[in-house]
Amino acid sequence: MARYLLRRLLYLLPVWLGISFVAFALSNLTPGDPARLMLQRQLARQPTAEEVAQARLDLGLDAPFAVRYVRWLGDAVTGDLGESYRTGEPVLTALITRFPITLQIAVLGVLGALAIALPLGMLAAVWRNSPVDHVSRVLALLGASMPNYWVAYLLILLFAVQLRVLPVAGRGTWQHMVLPSVTLGLAASASLMRLTRSEMLEALGQDFVRTGRAKGLRPATVVVGHALRNAMIPVVTVAGLRFAGLLGGAVIVETIFAWPGIGKFVVDSIFDRDYPVIQGFVVFMGSVFLLINLAVDLSYAWLDPRVRLGGS
Amino acid sequence: MTTSRRPESPELPLTRRRLMHLSGAAAGAALSGTWLASSRALAAARSQDAPTGELLVGAPEDGYRSDERANIGMYPLNTNIYESLVRLTPDYQIEPLLAESWEFVEPNTWRFSLRDDVTFHDGTPFTAEAVKWTMDRIAGTGGGVLGVDENSTVIVDDYTVEITPSRPNRRLVQQLNHPNNSIIAPGSDPATERIGTGPFREVEYVQGDRYVVEANGDYWGEPPLLAGITFRFYPDPITRVLALQSGEVDLIYEVPRESAQEITGDLSLATSNVGAYEALYVNIHGAEPYDLGQDPALREALAYAIDKDAIVSGVWQGNAEVIQTMIPPAILGGAGADIVGTTYDPEKARQLLDAAGWVPGADGIREKDGRRLHLVMIVGFPTAAAHVPMPEFVQAQLLDVGVELEIVQTPDTATYEARLATGEGDLWAELGSQNDGNPCFLPDLLFYSPDPEGDPESAMYGNAFAPGETFDAHIDECRSAVETEAVQEAAAAAMKVLIDEEFVVIPIAGIYRIFGLNQSVQGFEAHPSGVNQSWAGVSVTE
Repeated sequence: MARYLLRRLLYLLPVWLGISFVAFALSNLTPGDPARLMLQRQLARQPTAEEVAQARLDLGLDAPFAVRYVRWLGDAVTGDLGESYRTGEPVLTALITRFPITLQIAVLGVLGALAIALPLGMLAAVWRNSPVDHVSRVLALLGASMPNYWVAYLLILLFAVQLRVLPVAGRGTWQHMVLPSVTLGLAASASLMRLTRSEMLEALGQDFVRTGRAKGLRPATVVVGHALRNAMIPVVTVAGLRFAGLLGGAVIVETIFAWPGIGKFVVDSIFDRDYPVIQGFVVFMGSVFLLINLAVDLSYAWLDPRVRLGGS
Repeated sequence: MTTSRRPESPELPLTRRRLMHLSGAAAGAALSGTWLASSRALAAARSQDAPTGELLVGAPEDGYRSDERANIGMYPLNTNIYESLVRLTPDYQIEPLLAESWEFVEPNTWRFSLRDDVTFHDGTPFTAEAVKWTMDRIAGTGGGVLGVDENSTVIVDDYTVEITPSRPNRRLVQQLNHPNNSIIAPGSDPATERIGTGPFREVEYVQGDRYVVEANGDYWGEPPLLAGITFRFYPDPITRVLALQSGEVDLIYEVPRESAQEITGDLSLATSNVGAYEALYVNIHGAEPYDLGQDPALREALAYAIDKDAIVSGVWQGNAEVIQTMIPPAILGGAGADIVGTTYDPEKARQLLDAAGWVPGADGIREKDGRRLHLVMIVGFPTAAAHVPMPEFVQAQLLDVGVELEIVQTPDTATYEARLATGEGDLWAELGSQNDGNPCFLPDLLFYSPDPEGDPESAMYGNAFAPGETFDAHIDECRSAVETEAVQEAAAAAMKVLIDEEFVVIPIAGIYRIFGLNQSVQGFEAHPSGVNQSWAGVSVTE
């Protein structure tokens, strides 16, 4: 296990380097001069040529691309991702401050999605072509079809404006987390529900399920203890990917619900050509993504003992 | 005075949802018990301790900086913790605030006499030292638009201070009102502690979430009527409207025009008395192959081909007005009338195009010397969304006179400016707001002749189309005049060159700043420049 983990971590290194290079290259290819934009904000006027040249020098933008990349990479591995041109904050601090805020609703969103998807997907498979199956299919279709922002406004209209039982937006209490988490969870639950159903159908047709039933095991034990567990590997994989996606891509939900997470911060930074933040975010989220993938892979061994990590 | 923080639910239509309401109410009450109870307890406690009540305000997103240029509490959300030496009145005039009076001393010095009855929130007396501390801080970050350096500010005595910008700047007084130039307590840093002289003082600032202030009981001026204000940040404008409708806040900033009609029943809209605070205009310039606008006749034709009334009524639905200037007309005083502008006259536009040799082609689009009259409008400042659907209106109107218009929306300001710097476009749609008292700022910034040895991108418009000596002379006059009327006249004369003579700027509309509020809010006077909004005279009633 330890050797497997070490090997996987070493595999991550070239991937991480690739991510860092792409992040650096892409943000530098976008139109707009960050030195000029920074000075315009600072000075509240058009900067002179000398001021722009000095700012480019100060920011190290005068050096060739490769030199800038190596410099940046050297700093990045020590945890120094630079300072935001826009807010002046150290990038790592800015990301670490906002990441847990996004994490809150992403975790709740994925847990909520699983809470909806697993039982409904399972029941739809067990009672295939029954009303439960039809209802779950309609719910999945709705969940997949409704855009996030539309669901968000509907939820606010119903629970905050009409019923007045939940706050419209903001942070502070657990009630503030309900609507953004539900919004995120609904979309994720649709695909997970359909995946659970199809995997369960396949598992329920396997010999070990027939054997379990022949041995007289209770139906619930066969379905939950054996079939569901075998169906979980692809579901966990997709749930992990959705979770990672929510961590970096909950921008619209964060904006609507005034949730000051990492997504909104980064989008604003992109608009302002805040290179250090953009690059830092891509590397940071890339690292998170890789670690989540690793965790998902490790969970396979727990879900299915036939999977031997690191074994031949 | 008793206060009510949560007004009764407005009568909102609810039919099929009624059933959901009834079934969900019980579960919802249990779900939200903690939140509502805590909110009401807080409001009740505040009501007992502070009979003047608390106002809940829905503000746009938290745009504060937190570095050495930190402007927390100042800009863009002015929480009235700080004050500047002067204030910008709701009709765009400059009045004394922390400075009682000022005078210009040749060649380039402004001498201010300061109030002697002001203290900061920590009890420190306000003196010339605070002005120097503030100006030196601004100098340390580049001097800003004021152009001050570390030697600019000289303390004459405790209540007299002189400011000599590092470059000639007679517009300094009109610029000082900007909240970024607010006076801070000596030794303090707004990044870590906010100590001002304003009618409110800080209770709590939670980045991205809320800003809570309370009345400053020792305020030197008219004491505020409110015990406190909680500003909540809502980046999404529709969410702000929903927060107002739900009773979560009493007043919101910047109601989106498409949602204005949703503010009904117990809710109302407020706009400033002077009307427009933002000016929407289209500039004409471009580098080859976007060089058709070099022809004055074509520019004039375009100006007459655009139906501003139709755009204002169709796009802004009463929340804007036709203007003939590129800044809010109020700031120009009587001099604004000197600018005539253009009114919709498609026949005149056709005649001008005919006379210029542009003849209709087979598909109705005009041609000249084998070149099609195809123009590209770049839309993206400050955002493309701010203009929608104005470009489509203009597109249809220009098509009517035989001009083909292609609309290009840029994803952000940086992309817009990158195209601007290289002249990749014919028409440029912009929306500019006026936050200080300097009327020549915008025409100066955009059209003053560039320094031939300077940075070509530093005068992006000027490089492509600088009107030349006459315009520059008016701007020079505007820069150097001391009296307000002279400044206004010079600014108007400069804009007249742009709008009436060269037709490089086509003003389209003056946009109102719209606030939404419920009936409990009293005494609110909307400031056309939202960043100068005053809260001291506002109260809440049951």
